[in-house]
This record gives sequence, C-alpha cells and structure tokens, in this order.
Amino acid sequence: MKHFEYLEPGTVDEACGLLKQYAGNARVFAGGSSLTILLKQGFLQPDALINIKKIDELRRIEESGEDLVIGSLVTHHDIEVSEVLARRLPVLCELEHDVANIRVRNMATVGGNIASGEPLTDLPCVFITLDATVRIANTSGGRTLALEEVFVDYYETQLQEDEVLTHVVIPPLPAHSAIDYVRFSSSSVVDKPCIGVAVRMTVDPDGGACREVRVGLGCVAPTPMRARNAEAALEGQPLNDDNLQKAARAAAEECDPMDDLRGSERYKREMVAALVRRLSSRVYDQARGGRS
Amino acid sequence: MKKAITMEVNGASCRVEVEPWRTLLDVVREELDLTGAKLGCDIQVCGACTLLVDGKPVSACSVLAVDADGRKVTTVEGLAEGDRLHPLQESFMKFGALQCGYCTSGFLLTAKAMLDENPHPDDEQIKSYMGGSFCRCGCYQEIMQALRSVARS
Ligand SMILES: Cc1cc2nc3c(=O)[nH]c(=O)nc-3n(C[C@H](O)[C@H](O)[C@H](O)COP(=O)(O)OP(=O)(O)OC[C@H]3O[C@@H](n4cnc5c(N)ncnc54)[C@H](O)[C@@H]3O)c2cc1C
Ligand code: FES
Ligand code: FES
Repeated sequence: MKHFEYLEPGTVDEACGLLKQYAGNARVFAGGSSLTILLKQGFLQPDALINIKKIDELRRIEESGEDLVIGSLVTHHDIEVSEVLARRLPVLCELEHDVANIRVRNMATVGGNIASGEPLTDLPCVFITLDATVRIANTSGGRTLALEEVFVDYYETQLQEDEVLTHVVIPPLPAHSAIDYVRFSSSSVVDKPCIGVAVRMTVDPDGGACREVRVGLGCVAPTPMRARNAEAALEGQPLNDDNLQKAARAAAEECDPMDDLRGSERYKREMVAALVRRLSSRVYDQARGGRS
Repeated sequence: MKKAITMEVNGASCRVEVEPWRTLLDVVREELDLTGAKLGCDIQVCGACTLLVDGKPVSACSVLAVDADGRKVTTVEGLAEGDRLHPLQESFMKFGALQCGYCTSGFLLTAKAMLDENPHPDDEQIKSYMGGSFCRCGCYQEIMQALRSVARS
C-alpha cells in the first residue's frame, strides 16, 4: 500500500473540511471493506484516509415522523438484526442474511455500499423502489438527492470530493402496499449477487388495479436502476397474465447486463424476466391480501 | 509516519506503534507474535484471517490496525483458559475437524462469536453463520459434527 495520512474527524463538518483541504486526494474511510482491497491492490493511492467512524450520530437507525432514517455508518449486520426495521421493513433484514459473509456484514456500511458505486450490491436496488433519498453533507451546506440519481456508472457516483453521504431517508409505504426482493446468486450463496429484483406496488382495494408500481433491478446495468417500462406495463390495471408477461419482457429489454463469470448477457436477461414475473405476482397478492 | 494504538488483546492491554497502512492481521502476527490467524485470499472471502474485534468476527486481512485502536481483539490463542481448552477446541479434536489446520483458527473464532450470540443454533443457523468460512481440506462434515455437538450441550 502507498503511504497515506490517517485522520479521524469527530464531526461531519470537520470531515468535509478535511476532504476539501485534500482537493480530491483524500478518501472517506467507513467500514473499509471495499477500500482496503483497492488500496492493497494499488487501484487507489490517496494521500489521506478520512475515517468517519468517530462520528457517532451516523450510526443510528431512527424513525423520524413517518420516515425511516438510516445513518451511513449503519452496518449490514445492524440492519440484519434491527428491531425497528424488522417491524417496519422486514424485507431489508431478510435480504441481509445473504449478503456477503458475517465478517463483511460486521464491517461494511450502508454509506459505503452506496458511495462505492459497486455494481453488485443489494440494498440500493431495494432503496430505489422505496423512493429513498440520501442526505449529503459538504462544505457549502449540503444537499438531498433521490438515491437513484446518486449513481452515474460502474464505480462512479455524483458525490463530489468534499462530500459525505450522511443518511438514507425512506418514506413510509402507502396503505395496501407490499414490497419484496429476490437476490439471485448463480454460484454459491456467499458470492455477490448475479441479479437483484425488487418490486413494490399498491393495489387498489376496489377493482384491484396496480398503483405506484416500482420495479428495481440490481447488478444488471452499470448502476442499480428502475425498470420504467415494466412499471408502466402494470400501472393502473389489475394484474393478469398478459400485463405480467409484458412487464417481464420490458424489464429484460431495458436492463443492460454484462457477460461475466456469473452468467451470459442472454442468461441474465431471461432471469430478469422470470424474476420480475414471479415477484410481481407475489407482491400483488401480498398487497391485495392487506399484508405488507 | 507511525501512530500509537492501544488494544486489549486476549484480555491484556497492549500498545504498539504502527504505520496506518498496516493490516491488523499483519500487526497481530508480526508485532505480537500471535500467528494462529493466517493469510489466505486477502479479499475477505475465505475466513482464514478471522479475528474477533469487540467480540465480532472480521477479516483481519482487510482491517487497518489503526482502525482497531481502543478495541478488544480476540485471537485463537486467547480461547483457552490457561491449560483448559475451550469446549470448541476440545470438540474439534474429538471429531477430527481439521487436516492441515490452516482454517481452524478462523472457524473456532467465528463459531465462538456465533455461540455468544446464540448458544444453541440449529443446523441451518450454523450453516448460515459459518457459510463464509472455507476449509480447503474439505473437513466440513467433521466441522459440522464438532459444532453441532457444542451447540447441543
Ligand atoms: C467478500 C465480499 C462480499 C460482498 N458481498 C456483497 C453482497 O452480497 N451484497 C452487497 O450489497 N455488497 C457486497 N459486498 C460489498 C460491500 O457491501 C461493500 O463493499 C460495502 O458496503 C462497502 O462499505 P464500507 O463501509 O466497507 O465502505 P468503504 O470501503 O469504507 O468505502 C467504499 C467507498 O465509498 C466511499 N464512502 C464510504 N462511506 C462514505 C460516505 N458516508 N460518504 C461518502 N463516501 C463514502 C469511500 O470513500 C470509498 O470510495 C461484498 C464485499 C466483499 C468484500
Ligand atoms: S485472508 Fe482474509 S478473508 Fe481470506
Ligand atoms: S483443515 Fe486444511 S483448510 Fe481446513
């Protein structure tokens, strides 16, 4: 590893100030699970690491009014065992059982999961279908972005050199809604996911039409994405074989997967279709049954 | 530039001066002479380097030593109490749950953390928690027997 300074600010403001001072040559250091690998392999050679783990206010999972607020230092394992989330959004706790391994879950943070811009992740795909936003601190007052807008390309995000992602904010689910996620792994379960699909919808209690449909896809494009054509195929109608099929085909077409050791492009598109069909149908039934 | 850090290693306070780019695994092995934990994959996949930091398993190959400042670190050398082996160690011997032993330190520490969280896990819970630890000699059957035996006692 190239030599670097190791700095430990006690507040978010201080962290942003240090980042600004290093003008792009410093990195935020959270769990370090992704950074240490890049440092060891020489892909990154920053002048300084800004360890933000002394900033305790970023560690909390809280209910704020109707919203859920997840601090950027919350780890995968914190989510896995969170009582608040088990009550409000059990889908997040359940998916975490399959993320990486217990060691990575103990170290790696929500902020790092998003800010690394890694393509093979789970949480961002689900957060996007929940219409989550992120709070970002910087040296000029901060900003809020829809989570979907944070991602630019493989390993590339909107975060600027003096910015720290501080919180993920999740609005409440409307009544008569359900959400679910499938993490599909094509090799061993401890491998990174090959495909992630999340579906959320509200079902009209009279008439059964799908409303506010969100289809999130992970790992099958440079960034996590919404399959908007698939959503449109279901929006406003009760679910049937015909629109289910249309939604599945639309998602398979609008994603942009890469051939790699986890599967060929064609295989991944077929799997996206199968998973969107299966999950949409399950989520529809859950929302209609009043369970969410 | 070195930084002074203080850790509680296997119950004893210890102060070392380390460069910020050194890993916890490297420091524990080279500075503290605790060589039970091994370097395997170096990318957090295999578990050979597992140490407990504040009781939780982490891949020490990918933890910076400076990041363990002020924390409690447990290595496999800290499992026994004097001459009395930990029940997990006894059980691994009884069931022959190792061949070369390269993975053993990681398995023992991960299993300890699992049992501290849940003293009586069933087979599925054991597999789910231990799934990220690899044994290249393939002693999984024996390891399961050894863990099951402690989980049921
Ligand atoms: C073996 C292995 C298996 C994995 N399997 C999975 C999996 O199945 N599913 C999955 O989703 N992920 C998986 N991951 C990825 C893992 O979840 C991410 O590496 C992790 O979430 C990164 O978090 P971190 O806190 O360790 O980030 P760090 O390594 O500390 O940082 C990563 C990047 O994000 C930046 N950063 C971190 N926090 C912030 C912040 N608050 N503000 C601004 N920038 C920030 C850093 O500067 C750095 O560029 C796996 C990783 C490994 C090593
Ligand atoms: S050497 Fe650290 S996990 Fe393999
Ligand atoms: S005993 Fe050889 S790797 Fe497990």
